[in-house]
Amino acid sequence: MAPAVMALDAMAPEAMALEAMAQATAPIPLDFAFRVEPGELLALVGHSGSGKTTVLRTIAGLWRPTVARVSIGGRGWLDTAKGVDLAAHRRRVGVVFQNYALFPHLSAARNVMAAMDTPDPAGAARLLDLVNLHGLGDRRPAQLSGGQQQRVALARALARQPDALLLDEPFSAVDRATREKLYSEILALRAHLKMPVVLVTHDMNEAQLLADRLVVMDKGRMVCTGTTAQVMADPTALRAMGIREVAALLPATVVSHLPDGLTLLETPAGALFLPLLEAAPGTVVRVRIMAHDVILSRARPEGLSAQNILAGRITRIVAGQGPAVMVHIDAGGHEILARITRRAAETMGLQVADQVHAILKSMSVARDHIAAGAPAQGGD
Amino acid sequence: MCGETYQLVLPMTFQIRRRAFFAGLAALGLLAGPLLAQDDVPVIAAASDLKFAVTEIAAAFAAETGMQVELSMGSTGNFATQIRQGAPFQMFMAADERFVAELHAEGLTRDAGTLYAEGRLVIMVPHGSALTPDAALDNLAEMLAAGTLTKFAIANPDHAPYGMRAQEALAHRGLWDAIQPHLVLGENVSQAAQFALSGNAEGGIIAYSLALAPEVADLGEFAVIPHDWHAPLRQRMALLDNAGPVAEAFYAYMQTSPAREIMVRYGFVLPEGT
Amino acid sequence: MDWTALFLSLRLAGWTVAILLPLSILSGRWLAYHRFRAKGLVEAMVMLPLVLPPTVFGFYMLLAFGRNSPVGDMWLRLFGHQLVFTFEGLLVASVIFNLPFAIQPSQRGFEAVPVEVREAAACCGLSPWRSLWKIELPLAWPGVLTAMVLVFSHTLGEFGVILMMGGSIPGVTKTIAISIYDRVQGFDMQGAAIMSATLVAISLATITATFMLSARIGRRLG
Repeated sequence: MAPAVMALDAMAPEAMALEAMAQATAPIPLDFAFRVEPGELLALVGHSGSGKTTVLRTIAGLWRPTVARVSIGGRGWLDTAKGVDLAAHRRRVGVVFQNYALFPHLSAARNVMAAMDTPDPAGAARLLDLVNLHGLGDRRPAQLSGGQQQRVALARALARQPDALLLDEPFSAVDRATREKLYSEILALRAHLKMPVVLVTHDMNEAQLLADRLVVMDKGRMVCTGTTAQVMADPTALRAMGIREVAALLPATVVSHLPDGLTLLETPAGALFLPLLEAAPGTVVRVRIMAHDVILSRARPEGLSAQNILAGRITRIVAGQGPAVMVHIDAGGHEILARITRRAAETMGLQVADQVHAILKSMSVARDHIAAGAPAQGGD
Repeated sequence: MCGETYQLVLPMTFQIRRRAFFAGLAALGLLAGPLLAQDDVPVIAAASDLKFAVTEIAAAFAAETGMQVELSMGSTGNFATQIRQGAPFQMFMAADERFVAELHAEGLTRDAGTLYAEGRLVIMVPHGSALTPDAALDNLAEMLAAGTLTKFAIANPDHAPYGMRAQEALAHRGLWDAIQPHLVLGENVSQAAQFALSGNAEGGIIAYSLALAPEVADLGEFAVIPHDWHAPLRQRMALLDNAGPVAEAFYAYMQTSPAREIMVRYGFVLPEGT
Repeated sequence: MDWTALFLSLRLAGWTVAILLPLSILSGRWLAYHRFRAKGLVEAMVMLPLVLPPTVFGFYMLLAFGRNSPVGDMWLRLFGHQLVFTFEGLLVASVIFNLPFAIQPSQRGFEAVPVEVREAAACCGLSPWRSLWKIELPLAWPGVLTAMVLVFSHTLGEFGVILMMGGSIPGVTKTIAISIYDRVQGFDMQGAAIMSATLVAISLATITATFMLSARIGRRLG
């Protein structure tokens, strides 16, 4: 794997920040502005029809709103005010489409080479190795599974040596099990992707797992933006996405697999026991904890069936509109969220800076809320 | 390694096949080019009734002088129209002098041309037809009256001289109105003969010169229609503006006795004084 | 057997295909990819020669390109002879008359190229021209091939238009279809039969060979 990764590093051009904005009312309403730093992964989330794919297509050069600007490292790709509009094939952009969009008449290797300035079979082979498709370069797309095709699409996008990598719901056409594997692989690649990456998805779990920053779109408008942690913890933003459940993301390291079918993980705030994970000891994983699955206790409880108890300090208590409040807890430098009733909070007399214990039902840490990979820069 | 080679070769094979396809096309295009190189071989527009007669005359002309002409057969009226549109014929042999006169008036012919023959009509029926040919068209009249005639062929009276004369003959005999619903019109008198003898019609009125040709004579029986039943078929020929020496030679040859003999054999009546 | 007429027909068909091939690709592609308000009208006009009786079409060709027309005049001035009643005249008519056959199937072929694939090609840095050669044509070629086969066979058999504006001049405009017609009128049934059979054989051979070839290529390219 190492030589392939090194190859990717060698291929990386000078990395630059991506800036994009648009304002239009017709034919498709759009209103957004954001910036993605080199190496950062920004997720565009929202319902179907929220305009997130249109944003991506604007950046790629496949759509031009009436008022828009897209620039990479200050170099303008699109500027409606100045009449600048580089055609898609002139922008150095790598795109992974939802339905792969591989060239059906070319082999995987030739698909990858199609994106190269000068076809380099060895380079293509290395890229295919990088996405774990070693030896499958001669296969036609029809002879590959969905997950394999998506990997070829990714390799092809990378072969372009893009200034920006755009992923349009790349995992939605793939089955769940493959999706998990792809998440792991993306996260593994992350460290070596030096360019800004924009990911469009309607899957909150995916966004939270992979992204550093989120942009929430609704009916073409950007309604919320911030780091993943900020947005995921903001009930207003989440309500705009129709998400009722707020969740926190906790990095954890796999320690060992126990004979009784559990895996032991270590977090800065304590140990976690989860059903057996397919990850080698030492792997860093992200664990998603739904706020409504967290019970709070002042004293460390004993005699409970729940095994997962983390200690922390209350940083914020935010009252919602209903009978619930959201308690933000700092657990070893990472935030955990707990949604409890206002009555409970008052009865317990919870205050900011109080020490509490968060009790997680084992069942609340479900399998698809786990992805293996490096934590985002800056940490969640 | 083999797989890699296959992949490299395949698109090339596709390219080669594509190129081969285009090369084949180009070859087709270039093909026949030399075959169409023309020396002065003039094209003569000849009325359809002359089909067999003038073919023989052209062969005799070639035998005697070594010069070739090309013959284009068709309806006199159509030829006149095409000549007006600039068709590159060098000589026009019409079945009715009226058309030559018109072209002459428009300045498209060298002169008023020459009367080269007078044509005749015959009624002809295929073997086994219910109709029997007689010069007075009596049997035709009977079948019409009895309602047993289905189809009868003549050339199109709108633009074919033999068709116009056929109409006159039928009108003279008082059969024109009655025969209307049964008529099949040939685009020229050759096609009328086709229709008349193919078995799909009981018979028709066609050119005497066609009926005398062996290929046609074998197909049925005929009777010559009295020539005073219709206006005469005065067949006139003329050289056109662009006529070259070969066409001129053929024009002259048409008026010599070998040519005339052939015309007589095909039932044409020579103009007075020849 | 009128070999001159046969080669003339093949030549006419060959040149018609040669001229219509690039036109077919570019027009078919353009119509497939673009949507605009007048599109229905344009498509209808492309189909127009198909619904016109060949003789009507030939008549209009005579009017449009004949002696008394501006085009005919210009041609006369440029080349010293008429456009009608020449091989070039037939070729012009043949190209126009075959437009529906050339464009329609080709358009369908290009419509079958998924939009995403074309967009992916652009995002791979392929210019529209390179995309046409490397991606779109390899996918759309069955439509283009069908179009060319139709044009070829249709031209071989074309009669009415050629009769109207050709003049049936041996070696110049007397194609094999007209020659067969002539033979029939001259009561030379045997000659007509031989030539008809030859024409059918050539047409069948061309079409069969083309489709067999395309099937083999199609299998390889998947």
